[in-house]
Amino acid sequence: MGSVLASFFNGPNSAEEDSSSSSLLQTFHSAPRWQLHFDSVKETSKLMVIDFSASWCGPCKLMEPALSAMADKFSDVEFAKLDVDQLPDVAQEFGAQAMPTFVLLKKGKEVDRVVGAKKDELEKKIDKYRCC
Amino acid sequence: MAVSGFEGFEKRLELHFFGDIDEDDNMLGLRLLEFESLEQVLFAVQCTVVSAVGNPFFDAYVLSESSLFVYPTKIIIKTCGTTQLLKSIPPLIHFANNLGLHLQTCRYTRGNFIFPKAQPFPHTSFKEEVIYIEQNIPINICYRKASVMPSKLPAHSWHVFTATCLPPLEFPHDDAAFTVEVCMTELNRHLARQFFMKSGDGKTGDIGGKEMTELTGIDTINPGAFICDFAFDPCGYSMNGIDGDRYSTIHVTPEDGFSYASFECIGSVYDDPDDIVVTLKKAVQVFMPETVSVSTTGCSREVWTKVAHAFEPLGLKCRSFAMDEFPAAGTIVFQTFTAARRK
Repeated sequence: MGSVLASFFNGPNSAEEDSSSSSLLQTFHSAPRWQLHFDSVKETSKLMVIDFSASWCGPCKLMEPALSAMADKFSDVEFAKLDVDQLPDVAQEFGAQAMPTFVLLKKGKEVDRVVGAKKDELEKKIDKYRCC
Repeated sequence: MAVSGFEGFEKRLELHFFGDIDEDDNMLGLRLLEFESLEQVLFAVQCTVVSAVGNPFFDAYVLSESSLFVYPTKIIIKTCGTTQLLKSIPPLIHFANNLGLHLQTCRYTRGNFIFPKAQPFPHTSFKEEVIYIEQNIPINICYRKASVMPSKLPAHSWHVFTATCLPPLEFPHDDAAFTVEVCMTELNRHLARQFFMKSGDGKTGDIGGKEMTELTGIDTINPGAFICDFAFDPCGYSMNGIDGDRYSTIHVTPEDGFSYASFECIGSVYDDPDDIVVTLKKAVQVFMPETVSVSTTGCSREVWTKVAHAFEPLGLKCRSFAMDEFPAAGTIVFQTFTAARRK
């Protein structure tokens, strides 16, 4: 059963993953640094995926390996991780109430979102929006 | 009725804990359980997580065979098929103890299995189940009661076991929340077909689940709730709804011959009693079953009286009523309904 679960939530390259080491999945702890990053990505045509999570949320931890794998797989997409308790204003601005919430943005505007540890839906939507 | 098939009727376990909850941990309690620990518990039960979502009050997991809810001081696991639900008790107590939490109350409920001979130990009989629970909970949980609540339908009775260490006068009778567990069989065939995946669709899991939720109107039962859903291949559906600190959950086994659907939710004594009735009617309307059973735990007389008449507009008549008191759980009422045109 354990291996079934692991294969469901882990991506293909997840053998020895340190989720914070992937340069394409950055965690932000302060509002000014986040704003800087957000503004710079806004200028590009890259898809941005924000992962709103919380330390008290089990389902968020469940999704972590899958998210790291997606960050590796979709190297043309910017992934950012925000803790809703550290950045409550940003969480409120994006209306993140249930966790994890993934918001997909292009040029600073929301194009879609996924709420919950829904690996399939997230991957399909990232694939859909990452080009043009 | 088929000779064998998937068992839709669930086994439900609710465990309450108490202990020193560290202020620093933000009163997270059981939510601090490592996911690896939960995985071990689910491994013992023989099911896995397929989807999940959390909010400030609790975490909700959709499992391969039903649902798991983790609150700071209580865990609710509901599983169907041939899962060994009670085997979750020893590891859960162990992991909770590691967090400084101790078992206070245990409540186990289920209906009648459609295929009882297919059930593994300790679910081979209610007697075995009770013996197993009693052997695996601490001896200070000394106020215990097991009973089978009957109906006029031999295939529908309600099995209840509760145990607590709280002395009778300390039962939290001012606990405002009550639980409603609805079991539906012989679902309308046309409506049940909506829970089969379309062939060649390739729409799996959460994407397929979302479509089923919208197509069947399950999203209108409580429009304020956020729904975490999942569609199984080739058929079957599960969802957890989260709304503040309240959950609701639906599980569907749509196959003809052993079709089954369950709906469970939390109500509050502060709600308008008509609200719960409206909710139950909407849930039953999704399936239009031939038989419905409703078990309420801890609700007011007004609520279960209204439930008795709730389904009349849907052509379902109340056929039986049973009521009993259980340690810590309070009053449990079990009512069954069948199509009015049946004698």
